[in-house]
Amino acid sequence: MIRFRQSVQLLFLALFLLLLTAASISGISMASLDLFLLMDPSLVLLSAISGRIVLLAFIPALLVLISGPLIGRVFCGYICPMGTTLDGTDALFGPPKKKFFSSARLTGLKYLVLIFLTASALVGVSYIFFAAPLSLITRAYGLVIFPLVSFISREVLDLARPLGDWMDLGAITFAQIRTIRFATQFFILLFFATVIGMAIFSPRFWCRYLCPSGALLALVSKSPIVRRRVSDQCTQCGKCARKCPMAAIDPAAPETTRHSECIVCRTCEAVCPEEAISFGIRKRTGMLPTGGVSLERRQLVSAGLIGAGTAVISLTGLTSLYGKQGEGQVRTPGLVRPPGALPEMAFLSRCVRCGECMVACPTNTLQPIWLKAGLPAVFSPALTPRRGFCDPSCHECGAVCPTDAIRPMSPLDRIWAKTGTARIYRRKCLAWEFQKSCMVCDEVCPYDAIEFLKEEGSKVPVPHVLEHKCAGCGYCEHFCPVQHQAAIVVTPMDALRIEKGSYEVEAKQKGFQLQLKPKGRGTAQPEASSDANQGEAPGFDPP
Amino acid sequence: MKRKFSRRDFIKLQAKYGLFMAAVTSGLYLPKIGIASAVPDIGVAVGKPEAATRAAVDLIGGIQSVVKAGHRVLIKPNMSFARSPEQASNTHPDVVKTIAAMCKEAGASKISILDHTLSSAKVAVQMSGIGPACEAIEKNMVHPINDANLYTPVRIDNAKSLTKTDVVKEALKADVLIAVPVAKSHSATGVSLSMKGMMGLIYDRGIMHRLDLHETIVDLAGLLKADLTVIDATRVLSTGGPGGPGKVIPKDTVIASRDMVAADAYAVASFEWYGKRFKPDRVRHIRLAHERGLGRADLDNLSIKTVKL
Repeated sequence: MIRFRQSVQLLFLALFLLLLTAASISGISMASLDLFLLMDPSLVLLSAISGRIVLLAFIPALLVLISGPLIGRVFCGYICPMGTTLDGTDALFGPPKKKFFSSARLTGLKYLVLIFLTASALVGVSYIFFAAPLSLITRAYGLVIFPLVSFISREVLDLARPLGDWMDLGAITFAQIRTIRFATQFFILLFFATVIGMAIFSPRFWCRYLCPSGALLALVSKSPIVRRRVSDQCTQCGKCARKCPMAAIDPAAPETTRHSECIVCRTCEAVCPEEAISFGIRKRTGMLPTGGVSLERRQLVSAGLIGAGTAVISLTGLTSLYGKQGEGQVRTPGLVRPPGALPEMAFLSRCVRCGECMVACPTNTLQPIWLKAGLPAVFSPALTPRRGFCDPSCHECGAVCPTDAIRPMSPLDRIWAKTGTARIYRRKCLAWEFQKSCMVCDEVCPYDAIEFLKEEGSKVPVPHVLEHKCAGCGYCEHFCPVQHQAAIVVTPMDALRIEKGSYEVEAKQKGFQLQLKPKGRGTAQPEASSDANQGEAPGFDPP
Repeated sequence: MKRKFSRRDFIKLQAKYGLFMAAVTSGLYLPKIGIASAVPDIGVAVGKPEAATRAAVDLIGGIQSVVKAGHRVLIKPNMSFARSPEQASNTHPDVVKTIAAMCKEAGASKISILDHTLSSAKVAVQMSGIGPACEAIEKNMVHPINDANLYTPVRIDNAKSLTKTDVVKEALKADVLIAVPVAKSHSATGVSLSMKGMMGLIYDRGIMHRLDLHETIVDLAGLLKADLTVIDATRVLSTGGPGGPGKVIPKDTVIASRDMVAADAYAVASFEWYGKRFKPDRVRHIRLAHERGLGRADLDNLSIKTVKL
């Protein structure tokens, strides 16, 4: 039976990784790439509370919750990629040196975590990313493991290149593996390593004592229909209790089961020397007490107060945008959100920091931030144009976002989803400051938002940003040949952050004209382009 | 590096003398063609892209004079932009395809068609039409080269300012380099033709902007000196280059030369740029290349042969 469970676990882990990999391949944007995230009960419930939303996409989590009263915490034992990963890493650690931790008080900790998160979600602040298992594990695989794998494959490919060359396989000689890099990787790793490292105390420490989704499932799995059954053959040897990874069996009374802790792994069934244990539909007779956890009311109230308090303190932070922004402009400078990101407060309340958008981003411009915009914004995505541009024909981030913190939109509307406005730092600009005939920003701008004009006292034409045509895509900043800080930089100014409605309508209302340079047919008629203005022939020497 | 190029120069020299000798000795069966006019410096053909490409190259001695059996060939088109062929920001796919086909007919052992794209690599290869067109000749010839691992650092001897750069490894391995640029305007360098196009074979173009674009283009042409240049002027992007959109003038012309500078100079002189006419020496990198002896921009002293198809 254990083999069977492990196979199922590996199958689901493989599916999880497959969907994550599919998200990373541009062009694949199925709606179901975020399936596992949407199965996470606490992630979905808490997002619904903090973001004040109910989405049809939340159905998978609902199904998982419904499975609790029927079959117990099967999700934890068979499906959850965090559980499977921990089973694997726990095996590497081996059994804990000391006696298993099995404090009943500690078992209650996960409920306190859940209450903490629920209270802060009620205030409207999402701290899900600290503890929702699918947020943690997707982020770890997507933003730490995935770049690692791509790095190694790239090195292997480089070794194989001469071979490909020798065998005349152009496909290998010129194969290019996307190099993916992420900021804050060690902080992400720190979260993950902490969860894994707890194996020194007990197997599945996370699932037993900390996981808020485990807590939610435990609440609905107190007395499942399909459950562990112990027959009269039981000699109370206690072997099952010692082997149970979840400490769901009381060593003093091995015939009883804490069903809310049981993940139906069926280890007890396998190790029982008397074959007294089976899993099946509960019988009327032999119903034994389900020694649950009792938490003091005081603890519950404290957890709630601490959660709400933390949330309120977050809202009073300098960078918080709650309510009136107060005096001055304290928005985080240079924080450019992906196209279609909701207004900042709503965005942060919905974003679960799973990192799917960053995995999906084909140019790697989406990067997690650390404390730049305060604790509530940790690991949230930001455009990093020096790393990559944001292609106006791409909206993979919105397609994979599980909670629509980045709104999905039509390709036509996408062009209007302005993320910011480019500004020129003339003192760094090759044309303005150094009188060199550089026009890279104009060359690469997909919106034709750069105009080169001949200024008085300037030998060469110099760039200007036509702000009403600029969408903040960052092509200019990315390709600007000036080193380090570019001479043209995307700022979050005038980004369109709307909760609903069309970006085109909103942009036009604000006087923006965001149009891509024509792509399809050639323009046979002379363009009223900035380059042709004033009868100049840029780049030619005077006679 | 140096040895590589001197070998290529040697092959070139050999080919030149071979042709010269052939012209001399073939007086028997080619009585009407004089020595001077046997192989013009520049061949120009007017017609449909494919036919004009073949005709222009044939005028200057045919592809066999450049590509020998077993040669490894690197073709450098313009396919940097996610633009359609009509917009003239990229080389016409039929011109590139024809050159590839001709190299294959001449017995090339390996043909690579490479460019370091500005737009997203896959989109540029698709939208330029070059990827799909060349698939028909042979699979796996067209590659965007945007990965730093494909490049290797190289010193450029005799350079004035770009003394070293990372160049695509294939450029060092290839026996023959063929430039197949489109004729287009360029807002910083006047025009973007074969010499400017070599920026598509190096990794860091930014430094060329920071130094001096014209001078570094000539430095680079000293390193990446095409053995054959075929300029696609089937349509000319007369304004708005390099990316466009701009004024596109149909010209149905293909220009071929063994001399990059001569081909570029001819293209400058032959078409209208920003509504005006220019002498080649108004483009600084062409003038500098001529002065440094990389090639000849003195069109008056060159033999030019034109055919209309």
